[in-house]
Amino acid sequence: MNNTFNINRFGLLLRRQWLDFGKIYLISLVVLLGIVVGFYSYSIPSPFKDNNFDYNGNLDMRFRYPLFLILGFVFISIVASSYFNILGQKSRAILELMTPASIFEKFLAGVVYTAIISLFSYLLIFYLTDLAFVKYLNGHLDAFKVLLPQNGAIREVETITYQVFNDEGYRKYCGYFFAFPFLITSLFLLGSVYFNRFHYIKTALSVMVFIGLASYLVVKLSIWLMEGKVANHHNFRKEDKDWVLLTILLVTSIITLIVWTITYIRLKEKEV
Amino acid sequence: MININNLNFGYSKHKPLFKNMSMRLSNGHIYGLLGKNGAGKSSLLKNLAGLVYAQSGTLDVMGFNPAKRQPALLEQICFIPEEFYLPSVKIDAYLKANAPFYKNFDHSYFTDLIKEFDIPVEQKLINMSYGQKKKVIIAFGLATQAKLVIMDEPTNGLDIPSKAQFRKIMASAMTDERCIIISTHQVRDLDNLIDTVIMLDENDVALKASVEEITAKLTFKKVKEIDDSIIYAEASLSGYNAVMPNYHQEESKLDMELLFNAILAEKIKFKPLFS
Amino acid sequence: MEFRDNKAIYLQIAEYVCEHILLGKWKADEKVPSVRELAVEMEVNPNTVMRTYELLQNKSIINNKRGIGFFVDEAAIDNVINYRKQQFIIDDLPVVFRNIYLLNISFDELENQYKTFVKENFNA
Repeated sequence: MNNTFNINRFGLLLRRQWLDFGKIYLISLVVLLGIVVGFYSYSIPSPFKDNNFDYNGNLDMRFRYPLFLILGFVFISIVASSYFNILGQKSRAILELMTPASIFEKFLAGVVYTAIISLFSYLLIFYLTDLAFVKYLNGHLDAFKVLLPQNGAIREVETITYQVFNDEGYRKYCGYFFAFPFLITSLFLLGSVYFNRFHYIKTALSVMVFIGLASYLVVKLSIWLMEGKVANHHNFRKEDKDWVLLTILLVTSIITLIVWTITYIRLKEKEV
Repeated sequence: MININNLNFGYSKHKPLFKNMSMRLSNGHIYGLLGKNGAGKSSLLKNLAGLVYAQSGTLDVMGFNPAKRQPALLEQICFIPEEFYLPSVKIDAYLKANAPFYKNFDHSYFTDLIKEFDIPVEQKLINMSYGQKKKVIIAFGLATQAKLVIMDEPTNGLDIPSKAQFRKIMASAMTDERCIIISTHQVRDLDNLIDTVIMLDENDVALKASVEEITAKLTFKKVKEIDDSIIYAEASLSGYNAVMPNYHQEESKLDMELLFNAILAEKIKFKPLFS
Repeated sequence: MEFRDNKAIYLQIAEYVCEHILLGKWKADEKVPSVRELAVEMEVNPNTVMRTYELLQNKSIINNKRGIGFFVDEAAIDNVINYRKQQFIIDDLPVVFRNIYLLNISFDELENQYKTFVKENFNA
């Protein structure tokens, strides 16, 4: 018997975890759906409101971007932060750790649930809600015609996915930030193994303190290293920007992998 | 089955729980683990199951190091903790999710046990009483056919008929391939099931001896008055319950509670008898 | 079964088996319960029952047919009587003798008492 990884056993583990994790997860998906629908209903353009158009004369759907990002962050971080929290409760942790699956499989199940399933179900829910509202708006475009000063034509609303995938700029930028959601889930997953109680708050605080300290140090260090020693030049070229974006992608990916490794080790060391 | 060698363990460096503890346990026995509160009964069980890690020393359970938590060993361990949590599902859903991990799982035996324990199958696990839940995990644990059965205070929370059922089930669960370790405060619930007594005290094993060995060396009886031959005695209604060396090959019944108190009180006097 | 406090469990189980044989519940050449069955019934460790069966085998009260199980010996009743007689002489008689001596009871009185007892209880 392979004591590190066995695909059959891993499948059993995913199914078993669903029993514990699934119900809460489905409830949180319903809550998520409610929140997304609520925000859309409140924010979409309506003939009874002012300011329905953006500066290009299109129906104003710009609220979708901050909503997508903020809600996405909140959702995936909460899910990740709750995955291993049962290990903080003695009564649950024992049966959890005694389940005949390897630590690696238990860790991987955590990654699958928090990084893959939660992220994709979030994208799916957001996509479907967006699609529904866009369809609805496009079916009622006539209602907005009277609001236009010169009776001009109103363009159809595009879904957020369409906008992102059909704009070269968007596509490119999104690619560079690909690792961010994984970084977020990995950090909160680690928090759920590391802390025994109040995982979310403690993780969030630790990350903020860490980022604060790190930026302070970087700034101080660069001032100390370079002030008055390096000639200033401001001709920032386009290639430099790409290089910075690539660094962001690399750094977030690497940190994510490191955090996952630490999570695995912490899981291995977990005692009840 | 189990080999403990120079185990050092403690929850903090300054307060060791076990100091250089060594012990061998073999299959075909029901070990009764006794000890005062805080003597480390649960901790020893957790060490065996790999739920906590020793500071030094070696632990060998069926050829595995339990600290590695390998599935091949985990499926051979049935661990019944004192406190546990069961999800909010019915028994058959629980079974479907957990039983496939154990390749020797015996479904018909599980059904028999559930019937014998009189557990309502239609009820969700989370809504059951503590005693009922305990019976479910005992039934599940035994049906896994695990070779090492570890139980922490199993009779806690069981009502009187359930305790009798439990004793019957354990008597039938004891096979030559199995090693059963039961920690308990309620020795009267289990004293006829236990064939070897392990007593923990002062960071080490204070006594490990079979009931046969104990009653060959000691005799337990009621006496009217105390004399020099008595090692330890407790006043009772009609005189004293006493422990004394077994000079005349008497075949007395082991009084586990009395032995427990006797060893705590007169550790030095017992040392030469069991070495 | 209710166990008494004053005697090793395996001996009390031996008494239980002997009682069944004397009362004719288990007859000669019949199979007796397996170690496990009796252990479950008595709620005791199977090793204890094994010890009982070893003792009874030594006394030729039961015998072990390999692979099949334990059977009541042909001469079981005689052997049980012998065994219990021995036990009685070792365990109980000294106490009786001690009382007879201390209370100064004569053998004549004892004989009368014994005859009355047998008459009342066994109609012999």
